[in-house]
Amino acid sequence: MKRLTAAGDRFHHARDLAPVLDAACDAFEEILSVIGEYEDTTGSVDVPLLLAATQAANGRDAVLFAPSLPARRLHQPEQVGELERPSAADITAAVAALSLLLSCGLAHTAGTVAAAADRAACQDGARHARAVHDLLTGGGP
Amino acid sequence: MTGRATFGDFLQAAHHGLGAAGPPPGRGDVEEVSRSLLRVVTILGRYVQDMNTALTDMPSRTCLPLGTWDRARLQAREALTSSAGYLIQSAGRRTWPAAPSASPLARRLDDVATSMATGRDLLHTHFAPGPQGGRAHRSQWALTVTCEQVNRALLAEIGSLAQQAAHHGANVALSPVPGAPTNADRRRRLNAACQWLWVLSASVQTARRAEPVPAADRDLLAAIPVNALPPRPLLAGADTIPGLCNGVITTAERLRHLAWQSTQQPPGSPRLTVTSLRQAAETTTVTSHNCAILAAALATRTSHGAFPATSADLTAAAQAARQASGTWYQIARALRQVTTDTRGYVSPAAAEAHGLALWTGRLAYADPTWTLASGPTHPARPPQDLAPRPEDVPQVVAAVHHVCEALTLLTETEHGQLHAAAGAGRILVPTRTLPGDYDIPRPYGPAPPERTAPLLARYRDASQASRQATALTGRAAQATSAPSRALTTARTATQTTRPASPDTGRDQGAPGGQEQTHDTPGPLLHTLLRLGVTSPGLLARGADLDQASQRLLIDAASELPPTRKRPPAATLNTTAGSAALLNHALASGNPRATQLLRQPGQAERKAGREPEPEPEP
Repeated sequence: MKRLTAAGDRFHHARDLAPVLDAACDAFEEILSVIGEYEDTTGSVDVPLLLAATQAANGRDAVLFAPSLPARRLHQPEQVGELERPSAADITAAVAALSLLLSCGLAHTAGTVAAAADRAACQDGARHARAVHDLLTGGGP
Repeated sequence: MTGRATFGDFLQAAHHGLGAAGPPPGRGDVEEVSRSLLRVVTILGRYVQDMNTALTDMPSRTCLPLGTWDRARLQAREALTSSAGYLIQSAGRRTWPAAPSASPLARRLDDVATSMATGRDLLHTHFAPGPQGGRAHRSQWALTVTCEQVNRALLAEIGSLAQQAAHHGANVALSPVPGAPTNADRRRRLNAACQWLWVLSASVQTARRAEPVPAADRDLLAAIPVNALPPRPLLAGADTIPGLCNGVITTAERLRHLAWQSTQQPPGSPRLTVTSLRQAAETTTVTSHNCAILAAALATRTSHGAFPATSADLTAAAQAARQASGTWYQIARALRQVTTDTRGYVSPAAAEAHGLALWTGRLAYADPTWTLASGPTHPARPPQDLAPRPEDVPQVVAAVHHVCEALTLLTETEHGQLHAAAGAGRILVPTRTLPGDYDIPRPYGPAPPERTAPLLARYRDASQASRQATALTGRAAQATSAPSRALTTARTATQTTRPASPDTGRDQGAPGGQEQTHDTPGPLLHTLLRLGVTSPGLLARGADLDQASQRLLIDAASELPPTRKRPPAATLNTTAGSAALLNHALASGNPRATQLLRQPGQAERKAGREPEPEPEP
């Protein structure tokens, strides 16, 4: 869960387009990683998390193909310390909060970007982040 | 079930026109009836021609010796060609557009021709011209249309229609209207044409006696739908179990249709996206889970009651569906780790897969507002609510069966698409997710085999689990006589070649739901009846004499002189009396009687050298 918080902080503090895209891509990856680790440890399918992970992967892909995304990641991921065992409710809350931050931040960035491809990537990323949030807070399909 | 027209609709209309609507009038204008009968014969000839086309689609059959049904097909074609030959002469000058028929029998025959022509058009919607000639398949049903079982069922129906048409046509030929022109030649030719239709019928009956057509194969023929996307059902209005079952079935049919269409796109198509693959995977995970819930509920419901024997199959089907759901779950997870060079587009099949998850969830769970995001914690619908009465069980079994069939096809098509995309180098990965020894100076790169190979293997596992669930629900559908059992017949018919033997099934009655008319009144009995004789003793003696004359002619057919010493068949119809006797012998369906018309060796001619009945202008 600390990883999600760290990813959110980095995205929050990113200012230029390239760092924003890099931080967004890493944040989506962290969401996938946290959900995946939870899925590894539980025996049953958590459908809301399954659907949210799909949207997170779509969001990651949206920014992955943005022309201004740096070819190599700007920050190496922090070493995972003590293994966390968060509950589904904890994950849901943390992912929902991060996805809301991503949605708002990417939508704001899209409004400031001149290049059409980068703007579209930010808009798509924001849309998928919003879908993650809605799925986990009861507003999904 | 889905509101789509089926071949059975038109077949039933044709049978209706020839008898079920009441016997057509026995009198009519000979020229007009001949013209209308020619239309029927022409369209039947095209069906038989289609069967030969279907045979050429199967090269392995070309070296095999002729079987019973192969002979029946050849003889049917020969009989229709001969019949058309007489009718062309008898029908007089033809105009285009054809004038509407005046006599009731001719109108009935025109309706039959129209119904059968429309039915053939329906079958042809499953094909398109092939790139190198021949026919290309446009739907999953195309395999069914061309399979041997369905062709036999179709020929049996053609034999039945020919027999009925012959009966009515011969009545007109042998019943001159007082005061009307005699048209003796035309009557003789019309009668000869009808006699050839009896020959056709006898050939088919011979084949059916040797290798019966099971009722399931006839049901399958009738169940073939038009190749069109059924309208999307409205979830808002479905609040009953039958309504939900219909919605599930229609959505499953739509998914099958769309999944098949997706196989037509090339591997490089930009419409092949990871977005579609992911949506199909996540929704199929949910749908398979819903199927497991429904199958388990049905197993509980049937454990005591009308269908106790199906409970074990349904329990096993629930397990297989659960396994398929688990495999799809792993696919959905694995697809997060890869991407494609095009994204964002959601295919119609993936969109329909989402709809199917929603429909099955509404059926499986008690909550009428259930959505995919609701999660699995909602209580399932109690088994007693799912099927309150024993007679409600088959419709729910049919719904689950349709879903399993659709998911099996979807699994196979998705697997095929992913395999093709991987082969075309279109599967990519974010480089930041790769180990450090991958030095790719871009945010994404080609997916290494260690990412794609396990993914493809999971699709294969899901395919196997889906097929198992389908087979088990198919058995339950057979046992409960669910309306979906034709799907099982179709799958069996297109995947295996059933050994042709009388043991494979019982030929339950004649096609079209009518009994074969072996006991039509003979000429003497017919005359007695027309005289108003009602004495049982006299009528019995008349029937005995008719039967004796029939047997005599059939016996004589085996001892006919050589061809050059034998009068042409048409001359046998010179007098009404001899024509009536011959008709009665041919109508018996005894294959020996057909020798009265057929020249020696005529039936063994090669199909390709025979002329087709002359088409309408």
